[in-house]
Amino acid sequence: MQGEAYLYDGRSAIRHRVDVTLTERRDALVISGDALPEPLVWPLPDLRALGDHPDDSQIILTRHLDTEDETLRDQARLVIDDPEMVTWLRRTRPRLHRRDLRHGTWRRIWLSLGGAVAAVLLMVFVILPALAGTLAELLPVEKEIAFGRSVKAQMERMFGAEENGALDCDAPAGRAALDRLVARLTEGQDIGYPLEVTVIEHGMMNAFAVPGGQIVVMNGLLKGAETPDMVAAVLAHEIGHVAHRDPTRNALRAAGSVGLLGLLFGDFTGSAVMVLLAEQLVNASYTQDAEAQADAFAFDTLVAADLPPEALAEMFETFRKEYGDVSGPMAHFASHPRLAERIEAARDATPAELAPRPALTETEWQALRSICD
Amino acid sequence: MSDGNYAHGDYTGDGKALFFLALRTGLLTFFTLGIYRFWAKTRIRRFIWSSTRLDGSRFEYTGTGLEKFLGFLMAVVILAVYLGLIQILLFWFGMTIFATPASPEQALAQSIGFSLSGLAVLPFVFFAIYRARRYRMARTRWRGIRFGMEKNAWGYAFRAMGYWALTLLSLGLLTPLMTFRLEKYMTDRTWFGDARFEQQGRWTALYGKMKHVFIGLALLIASGVGFALSADGFSGLTLLAIVAIPVGVVWFGIGLISYNVQSFAYLAQNKTLGERIAFHAEPRTKDIILAYIVGSIVLAIGLSVATAVWGGLAAALLSGVDFETAGPGFQPAMVAPILVTAAGYMLTLIAAHAGALAAITQPIIKHYVTTMTLINLPALASIQQRASDPGADAEGFADALDIGGAI
Repeated sequence: MQGEAYLYDGRSAIRHRVDVTLTERRDALVISGDALPEPLVWPLPDLRALGDHPDDSQIILTRHLDTEDETLRDQARLVIDDPEMVTWLRRTRPRLHRRDLRHGTWRRIWLSLGGAVAAVLLMVFVILPALAGTLAELLPVEKEIAFGRSVKAQMERMFGAEENGALDCDAPAGRAALDRLVARLTEGQDIGYPLEVTVIEHGMMNAFAVPGGQIVVMNGLLKGAETPDMVAAVLAHEIGHVAHRDPTRNALRAAGSVGLLGLLFGDFTGSAVMVLLAEQLVNASYTQDAEAQADAFAFDTLVAADLPPEALAEMFETFRKEYGDVSGPMAHFASHPRLAERIEAARDATPAELAPRPALTETEWQALRSICD
Repeated sequence: MSDGNYAHGDYTGDGKALFFLALRTGLLTFFTLGIYRFWAKTRIRRFIWSSTRLDGSRFEYTGTGLEKFLGFLMAVVILAVYLGLIQILLFWFGMTIFATPASPEQALAQSIGFSLSGLAVLPFVFFAIYRARRYRMARTRWRGIRFGMEKNAWGYAFRAMGYWALTLLSLGLLTPLMTFRLEKYMTDRTWFGDARFEQQGRWTALYGKMKHVFIGLALLIASGVGFALSADGFSGLTLLAIVAIPVGVVWFGIGLISYNVQSFAYLAQNKTLGERIAFHAEPRTKDIILAYIVGSIVLAIGLSVATAVWGGLAAALLSGVDFETAGPGFQPAMVAPILVTAAGYMLTLIAAHAGALAAITQPIIKHYVTTMTLINLPALASIQQRASDPGADAEGFADALDIGGAI
């Protein structure tokens, strides 16, 4: 095995024509040329080839060497075009492309990885939520109400409204019944905002709280609920969110964590999906707490208004029939997680000595159900 | 290759090889939830760098995926803390200042207020641009000699923000000043071995390269004047004004590409290395636009054929499901077709990415490389090696902020 090649010695930009042969013991390459003061000897096991090379008929060699160089390789490069030498190297040196890691590399990887993960977790789960809570408290109420209006307007547009308020349901008798129910639930309580409950024309069985004391009930919920107590229970739950300023806090927290997560997943094919899933996961971990607190608030409110907390359990049962139970790993992705646990809690919260008064009279209940007609 | 004094650039990379390299690494990136992207980018750079030859000697990229990954982790820690805090605070200020959008103007002001958080990363963006170029230079070798750049990322970031502000305030008229000065700032800090690059020339010379931008603008303005003059009735002038709009828009667009290509050429022609070596570059705007169009057509045809085949497979699987009798909720029969469709969608995106790299980006690089010449080759013999640069964050900031594009 011998032939001609080019050498770049790693010290100057000159190209040297050199001869390459094997040592007598066939354990190293000997590189000699006019410009070299003495031949270079590269042991065969130390030979390395440059990877992802676009030309199969050429090999560029260097050798494994612990130097100042950042790559753990000799700075010199040997360019081999001779077909015989290329074939010989491929045949006898299958590990030319092996990678060399500096001692302690794995330790560095784990330290960096651990540090980064800890910093991100600390931000997403501790600092941002705490900051969101403080900032939500600091926000003047009238600003929050105005912000809530624009959020509600955006949601309505998402549900297909052409202009603000286009989906609102306002049949006078139904409105009166709703107002009476809300008044009974909030009697003697300071929510912190003027409460504003609207019903919108939409088939989904759901209700949600918007920043600034607004609660939106979807018509599908009124149709799906079997008793006015169930509607009262849902309202009490949403009032709980309002009292805890959950929607505002959540908007603030999401503003911080979405930017951060976007940073983490970067820009590769499918990264948007990852950011969305991760945000869902983070979001779910808060909503679980927030939901449990809103439930607890609802139980107290209901009992104080002589209404059975059990009605919330009945409502959850209806959700379960309609949309299926969400438990196990999928529970993390649902914003109303672990229905079974919450049903249990609602049943337990109903005192034995409670003497319930109906939430609405039959006439009022029928009026409320046809508020959108 | 060389006639003693001149060294010409050539490019040996093959479209098919790059496509399959990008496809393989793209799939690995997807299946590792994005972690492999640092190694993917490194391997693609290794391929492109070593496909590029000057005077028959290949360039070499010595960066590693691992150092990019570690640099990214470091940048993430800093940016995560900074961005998380700045975004939540700005969002809160947005809420307190602009809360009632009573009019469309106010709503606009509000959305601008919320998008201000984008500006918060701007210093980091320019910082990252310089750091990324420094890293790429530090990991590029030719004839075994390292390139390198000095540490001045913050100096660059402040200047870049200043020149951008000037450019925006002058409605783009000072673009050549920005292009020239920022490139000079970087070039004057770039080294090949122990020889320094220098940017010569004048920034006003770049106005000539903006010729087609101005023609496009003039057409649009003329069309506006034409409409104003023919306001009292339809005439030949109105017709001219109508025709001038699309012509002006296309001319303006081509003008922007032309400015990019020709200002690059001017800046390259006026660079010197070690005071003795000069460069010649004559990239042609029309060839670059042509490369873009041809590449896009090839890519579009390739992708349509691939999606047609995959879509047929998905349709065949779906045809087994009876939608009429299937009730709402979970249907086990739907799993296979949904998986096939989702896999097809992801595969199409990854293939499109790889295809664009091989069919559009690579031919454009090839054009730039093959129209580049180095003058005074013998002077290279005196250039000596420079010390290795640890590379700091290995362009982690650029990766975290998604700047730097395809390669």
